Amino acid sequence: MAKKTNKTPARSRGQAQRKKSPSRKKAAAPRRRWFSWAFVAKFSLVLLVIGAAGLAYLDAMVRERFDSHVWQLPARVYARPVELYEGRVLSREDMLKLLDLMRYRRDAAASTPGSFAVQGSRLLIHTRGFKDSDGGETPKRIRISLSGGQIRNLDAGGDGLARLEPLQIGSIHPQHAEDRVLVPLEQVPPLLVDMLVATEDQSFYEHHGISLRGLARAMVANVKAGGLVQGGSTLTQQLVKNFWLTSERTLSRKLLEMPMAILLELHYSKQEILEAYLNEVYLGQDGARAIHGMGLGAQFLFGRPLEELEPHQLATLVALLKGPSWYDPRRRPERAMERRNTVLRVAMEEGALSKADFDKYSARPLEVVPRGASALYAFPAFIDLVRRQLARDYPPEVLSDEGLNIHSTLDVLAQLASEGALKEHLNNRDPGEKQKLNGAVVVVAPAQGDVLALVSNRNSREAGFNRALDAQRPMGSLAKPAVVLAAVREPKQWSLASLVEDGPIQVKLPNGDVWAPQNFDKQAHGAMPMVDVLAQSRNQATARLGLDVGLDKVAKTMETLGVTRKVPQYPSILLGSLALTPFEVAMMYQPLATGGFSTRLRSITDVLDKEGKPLARYPVSTDEVVEAGPAFLTQWAMQQVVEKGTARSARAYLPKDLKVAGKTGTSDDFRDAWFAGFSANHLAVVWVGRDDNAGAGITGSSGALPVWARLMGKLPQRSLSQTPPNGVEWVWMNPDGQRVSAEGCGDARRFPMMEASIPEDTDGCGSVKQSGKGIKKWFKGLFD
Amino acid sequence: MQNRQGWIRILVVALVMSGCAVRPPEAPVEPMTASVELEGSPAMALLQRAESARQQGQGAAAERYLERALNIAPDSSWLYRALADLRLSEGDARGAEGFALKALRLAPDHDDYQASLWEMVATARERQGDRDGARDARSRAAALRNPVARPV
Repeated sequence: MAKKTNKTPARSRGQAQRKKSPSRKKAAAPRRRWFSWAFVAKFSLVLLVIGAAGLAYLDAMVRERFDSHVWQLPARVYARPVELYEGRVLSREDMLKLLDLMRYRRDAAASTPGSFAVQGSRLLIHTRGFKDSDGGETPKRIRISLSGGQIRNLDAGGDGLARLEPLQIGSIHPQHAEDRVLVPLEQVPPLLVDMLVATEDQSFYEHHGISLRGLARAMVANVKAGGLVQGGSTLTQQLVKNFWLTSERTLSRKLLEMPMAILLELHYSKQEILEAYLNEVYLGQDGARAIHGMGLGAQFLFGRPLEELEPHQLATLVALLKGPSWYDPRRRPERAMERRNTVLRVAMEEGALSKADFDKYSARPLEVVPRGASALYAFPAFIDLVRRQLARDYPPEVLSDEGLNIHSTLDVLAQLASEGALKEHLNNRDPGEKQKLNGAVVVVAPAQGDVLALVSNRNSREAGFNRALDAQRPMGSLAKPAVVLAAVREPKQWSLASLVEDGPIQVKLPNGDVWAPQNFDKQAHGAMPMVDVLAQSRNQATARLGLDVGLDKVAKTMETLGVTRKVPQYPSILLGSLALTPFEVAMMYQPLATGGFSTRLRSITDVLDKEGKPLARYPVSTDEVVEAGPAFLTQWAMQQVVEKGTARSARAYLPKDLKVAGKTGTSDDFRDAWFAGFSANHLAVVWVGRDDNAGAGITGSSGALPVWARLMGKLPQRSLSQTPPNGVEWVWMNPDGQRVSAEGCGDARRFPMMEASIPEDTDGCGSVKQSGKGIKKWFKGLFD
Repeated sequence: MQNRQGWIRILVVALVMSGCAVRPPEAPVEPMTASVELEGSPAMALLQRAESARQQGQGAAAERYLERALNIAPDSSWLYRALADLRLSEGDARGAEGFALKALRLAPDHDDYQASLWEMVATARERQGDRDGARDARSRAAALRNPVARPV
C-alpha cells in the first residue's frame, strides 16, 4: 500500500513535466535575447550589489571583531609570593627547589629577570617582579645567604625586603576554553618577529593582505627544498583564518580569506596585525585547553615568560605554526627539532641571526619542560577550592574571560610536603596495584586562616573527587576536645585535674535503644583526671563527662568552634558520630589552635584585573569565640595527647622541644583514621580511609598520625605558648583532683587551672608555693 | 572556719603594712611603641610601609602590608592593633573589635597600652550598638589608666 501511494505523486510529476515540455520548445525561439548585453549588464549589477553587500558585511565583521579584541582571558591563580627576609627559616635546598619550580635559569651574572647564580654560599637572584594590591615588586637583583636552614643575610637594597613573584598554579576556564597570556608587541622579542616574517611571510611589510609574489616564492622555495618549508598564505591571511574562520580547508573559506585579509590591511597597521597574530595564533592543545598566542606557548613549552626565551626556543614556537600537532616538540621531538633548525636557518639567511648564533643555537636541545612538571596543573584540589570560593563572588564568564589575577594562599613548600607525606605513608601501608586506601590533607596557617595546602588524593596530580572538601566522614575522637572545652568553660565545676570515671555507661535513647560505648581496648580504666581522658582517648569517661556537662553545651561548643552543620543532641556526638569533611575539621580546630579566635579560612587574598590593578581583597578577620582561659586549658590538654597520649609516636618526627597539640580519631569499624593537630603556625588535618567506606583496619594513630607527623616535621614550626593568660595559673594538684599539693609530693601533678577552679584545700604536703596570682587570690580571700 | 582564716590574714597584712607605710616612687614606664616588639624585625619595615600607604588613603595596600608583617611577626600585639585601627578608620567596627581583642591577648604587661586597646574595643562596640560591651571595655580601660582605683 505504501509503495502504491508513493508512486502516485511521482507519476503525476512525470505527467506534469511532459505537459510542460511543449512550452519549453516554444521558449527556444527567443534564446538570443536571454544572452543580450542588457541582461549581462543587469546581471553584473546584481552581482556587484550582492558583492558590495557581501564586502560591506565582511568589512563590518572584520572591524567589529578586531576592534573589540575580545580575547578570552581566563582567571589566573597564583601561589603566595615567597617573602624573603633575614631570619626566615628556609633551607638552601628548599630555596633551590622554589627557583627550579619557577624555572629560574642559571646565569653566572643573573643578568636578566628569571635567572640566578650560585656564588659559594650565596645566591644571586634576579627576580621577575609582579603586581599586587600593595603595588607589588619590580624586578631586581638580590643577594641572599642561606645557612643552618635560615636566611642569614639578605641584600635587596631599600628596606631589606624582597619577594619572589608568585608561581602560577592554575587558570580558571570553562571546558574547551581558549587560554592565552597577552603579550603587547613591545614586549615580544624582536628576533621572534624576524623569524616569523622570515619563515612565514617574507613580504609581510610590503603586501596588502595577499601576496602573489610570496606565493610564488614559497613555491620556488618548496621545490628547492624538496618539501614544504614555506606556506603560501600571508600572516594576515593566517590571522583571518585563526580569528574568524574554522580550520576546515574548504574553497569557500579560501574565497573568504582573501577579501578579509585585504580589508584587514585597509583598516589596520602592520604592527596591529602582527600583535594580534602573535597573541591569537593556535599553538596546540593541552587537554581541554586550547593554547593560543606566543605568551602562553612560551609558558606551556618552556615554563617561562616569552621575554626570557632564547633564540632556539623562539624558533621552536615559530616551528609550531606549520602544524602544532605534527611538530609537537614533546611527542615528535625529531620532527620539531628539524623544523626548528629550518626556522633558525631561514632566519640566518634573512640576516636576522648571525652564522655563529645559528651554529650555537641549532646545536642546543629542544629544552621543553615535561608536560607533567608544570605547576599549572600540579594542585587540582587546591584550585578546586579557589574556584569554589571565587564562584561565590564572580559569575563564570568573568572568571573565564576577563583575565583576573587571583593571588591565593597556597604555600608551595607546604603543599609538596603534604603530598609527599600522604603518598609515602599510603605507599608503605597499602602498596601494589590495587590501592584501596586514600586520604586527604588540609594545612592552614591558623592565625590568618590561610589555607596553605590541600591534598585530596594520594596521587595528588589527579583531579576528581575532592576528598578534602567533599568526603564527609564521622570525626570519631576528634570531637573530644570540644567535650573538654565545654567542661572547662565551667571552672567552678571542672578542671583538667577533675577525676572522671572510666567505666561501663549506658544511656537509654528516646527510641528505646541503649547506647553503651566501649573503650578502644574494651577495658574500663577507672577514675582518671580529665586531661588523661583526652590524652588516652577514653570513650566511656568522655561519654560520662559529656553527659554530666550536658549535651546541649557540648553541641553549642562545637558550633562555637565553627561546625556549621546542625549538631544533633545525641550522646553519640560526644564520641564523634557527627560527620565532617577534612576541611570542616580544619575550621573546627582553627580556634583551638589560636587560643579561641575564630578566623574564616581563606584560599584567596587578592583579586587583580588583567593589568594588575587591585579589584578586591579577601582580608583576614578574627573574632574571639572562646575565652582565653578555657582555650589555653584545652590546648594544653591536647598537648598531652602528643606528649604522653595516643599521639606520642609523632614526637620522633618533631624537634625535641617543639610544643604541639592534637587529637587522634578513629571511626567505628576502623573505617576512618583522623589526626588533627597544630603548632603555633601550622594546623594540619589528615584523613585516611576508603572511598567505598569499607573498614580500612586503621586507627588515627596508625593511619593518619604518621602523615601528620611527617609533614609537620618538614615545615618550619613555632611552639605553642606555655604562658598562661590572665586568670590561669600553674598549680600542683593532688591526684584526687580536689586539693592543692606541691611539687615533689607523692603523685602530685602540675595543671594549668582557672582561678575559679583552684581549691581552697591543700593536702598539707610540702610548702604550698603560691605564684604571684595566687597571692592575689589569697588577698582576695581577705574580703570574701 | 573560713572566717577565722580571714581574720588571721588581715592581721598578717596589718603587721606587714605597718613596716612600709611610705610607698617608694614608681619608675616611670616607657611608652609602648612598635619598636618594643618589632625592633630589628623586617616586619618593622612593612609596618612603616603600611602607615605611609594608609596616610595616602590606600587602605587595601596598608592591609596587605600588615598581613605580610604578621606572617613575619605573628605574635606582635602592635601589628594587630594597627589592623584594628585600620578597620576602625574604614568603618568595619566588628573587624576592629576582633583585632583589638587579639592585640590584647598578645599585649605585653603595659597598663597604658592595654588601656588604649580596651578603649579601641569600646569604640568598636559602641559603633556596633553594643552599649553594655562598650561600658565594660571602658571600665577596664579606666581601671588600667588609674591603677590606684583598681580593685584588688
